[in-house]
Amino acid sequence: MEFDLENPFENLHSDAVSYLFLIESDHTPSQNHSQTLKARDLDISVRRELISLISQLSCALDPVLSYLAINYLDRFLANQGILQPKPWVLRLIAVSCISLAVKMMRTEYPFTDVQALLNQSDGGIIFETQTIQRMEALILGALQWRMRSITPFSFVAFFIALMGLKDLPMGQVLKNRASEIIFKSQREIRLWGFKPSIIAASALLCASHELFPFQYPSFLKAISDSSYVNKESVEQCYKVIQDIAIEEEYSSALNGVSSSDTPINVLDHHFLSSESQKTNGITVANTIAVSSPLRDLKRRKITGCGCGGNNPTIHNSRIQFSHAKESEK
Amino acid sequence: MEKTGVLSAKEAFEKLEKVGEGTYGKVYRAREKATGKIVALKKTRLHEDEEGVPPTTLREVSILRMLSRDPHVVRLMDVKQGQNKEGKTVLYLVFEYMDTDLKKFIRSFRQSGETIPPHIIKVILSICPSIFNIRFFFVHLFLSIWLQSLMYQLCKGVAFCHGHGILHRDLKPHNLLMDRKTMMLKIADLGLARAFTVPIKKYTHEILTLWYRAPEVLLGATHYSMAVDMWSVGCIFAELVTKQALFPGDSELQQLLHIFRLLGTPNEDVWPGVSKLMNWHEYPQWNPQSLSTAVPSLDELGLDLLSQMLKYEPSKRISAKKAMEHVYFDDLDKRHL
Repeated sequence: MEFDLENPFENLHSDAVSYLFLIESDHTPSQNHSQTLKARDLDISVRRELISLISQLSCALDPVLSYLAINYLDRFLANQGILQPKPWVLRLIAVSCISLAVKMMRTEYPFTDVQALLNQSDGGIIFETQTIQRMEALILGALQWRMRSITPFSFVAFFIALMGLKDLPMGQVLKNRASEIIFKSQREIRLWGFKPSIIAASALLCASHELFPFQYPSFLKAISDSSYVNKESVEQCYKVIQDIAIEEEYSSALNGVSSSDTPINVLDHHFLSSESQKTNGITVANTIAVSSPLRDLKRRKITGCGCGGNNPTIHNSRIQFSHAKESEK
Repeated sequence: MEKTGVLSAKEAFEKLEKVGEGTYGKVYRAREKATGKIVALKKTRLHEDEEGVPPTTLREVSILRMLSRDPHVVRLMDVKQGQNKEGKTVLYLVFEYMDTDLKKFIRSFRQSGETIPPHIIKVILSICPSIFNIRFFFVHLFLSIWLQSLMYQLCKGVAFCHGHGILHRDLKPHNLLMDRKTMMLKIADLGLARAFTVPIKKYTHEILTLWYRAPEVLLGATHYSMAVDMWSVGCIFAELVTKQALFPGDSELQQLLHIFRLLGTPNEDVWPGVSKLMNWHEYPQWNPQSLSTAVPSLDELGLDLLSQMLKYEPSKRISAKKAMEHVYFDDLDKRHL
């Protein structure tokens, strides 16, 4: 039976969704473990290093595969911390998580190809097959063989249907953006305590607020009214996810690089091109033009949030940004 | 890495007795030392190569772990990986223990002698109850009362699996575990057929027990549907009533002939596409017989449900969910099922 992050079971029937909500806690790091992990600074830095390793090793593979591998890593860390963060141990854990993810998701990949890929190394460390197998067995035991992870992706279709967008182009656009947000937010340690269904709901709300602000209130109501969702958890999770999405946009703007293909970036591009034609080669004018719409978007986002008050961090950042601009003048 | 608090299967469990030798390995009744709890341990050799744990094992065991909360599926409580004396990897699946299975249950009633139809029992009981041997009488009364309950639970468990996109493929009385005290029935061995078979085998033809195998499987259909399980459910239903297998073939051809003798040899009219199936041949032409000739003591509603489970065309066969809604179960008290 194939495994798909959107359908941990092979076919998702309407009956199956309630069962996913019932068992999702068995397949995610638990809230208690999250608190425990946060108390161990060493493990947080180790996690960051491991995620980098996994992303680096699996960058040639499907990004969904590295998502699953990182999910295994998080559940492994939640179950037992790492007492000996030696470089070779970390690398072995990363390789084993990827190997297990490959087994769950692919039948087409020749295993030897994946093995060769994982063993190419700048560090010169190559593991014997048996060593990887022993680590795999250890991880399987820690995860209690619950390898069909239930992730936020498992719930996206359900919430989109709840918002009345099933089979509509608007639903597909929202799904794409929410998936992007879910991928990026996996690194964020603050999300550890939230259930996958809560993360899915929050990512969709964040995407809808960003892309379809006028419909946002009705989407919020549709999700809040669901008996499967704890409203307070969604509010808290939404704040964290919005931070992540905003940070993403800041880094895009500062680097002048579009990391996502969204209508906002399309507008930026058009505006910039238009401005360029009028003021050939004048750098200052371009800078001002670029910053202006972003500032407006940030302001609207903060004040328009239906899940709570302003985020002081964002407010301070905005002031600093404006101040810097005024100084230049 | 330091292992803390993780016991191997041998350290964690005390084997009490071997209770079976399944297709995939030995089954033991065992006690968990830490809790004193009685469990069923299934010990299985992993077919390893350079890959370590095979992907199919990983995927199917994970399914069982996901299904562990439904009351009608035998719960896989834990999985332990260990090594045997030759250093080969062994997997111990720790299941909840059930004291009997439907096969043993049916056999225990077969020894009670001939069946008396439930409706006749009711009539005679109302007239002159003292005439009958009490033990004999209550054995049959007991069975007729529980028939509906057991069948409903079976349909419910299968509906749960199918609702999650999972086929069993090997439903038979031996795979339906029971608790004698509560009369609860649970489906066992889900997915194990694929989890532990050597991949090169054609498991579809070598594992599924013949007697409960759907005709489309016997005729070599390559695309299965949930209907293959409902055929098995129908065969089990009939066997619960008569206490004999409905279609006891001893080869694939004989299995087909058993089916055709009762239901009539299929043709393109009753089963469009049947003559194009890979294993189709010319067969003796039989006309369909009434199901009541094979299951004489089942009432009209039961016969209707059974006939819908035994439709030739897979897409016309009743689903497990629809079966639960059939009028045959209307007078069953479902509150605890």
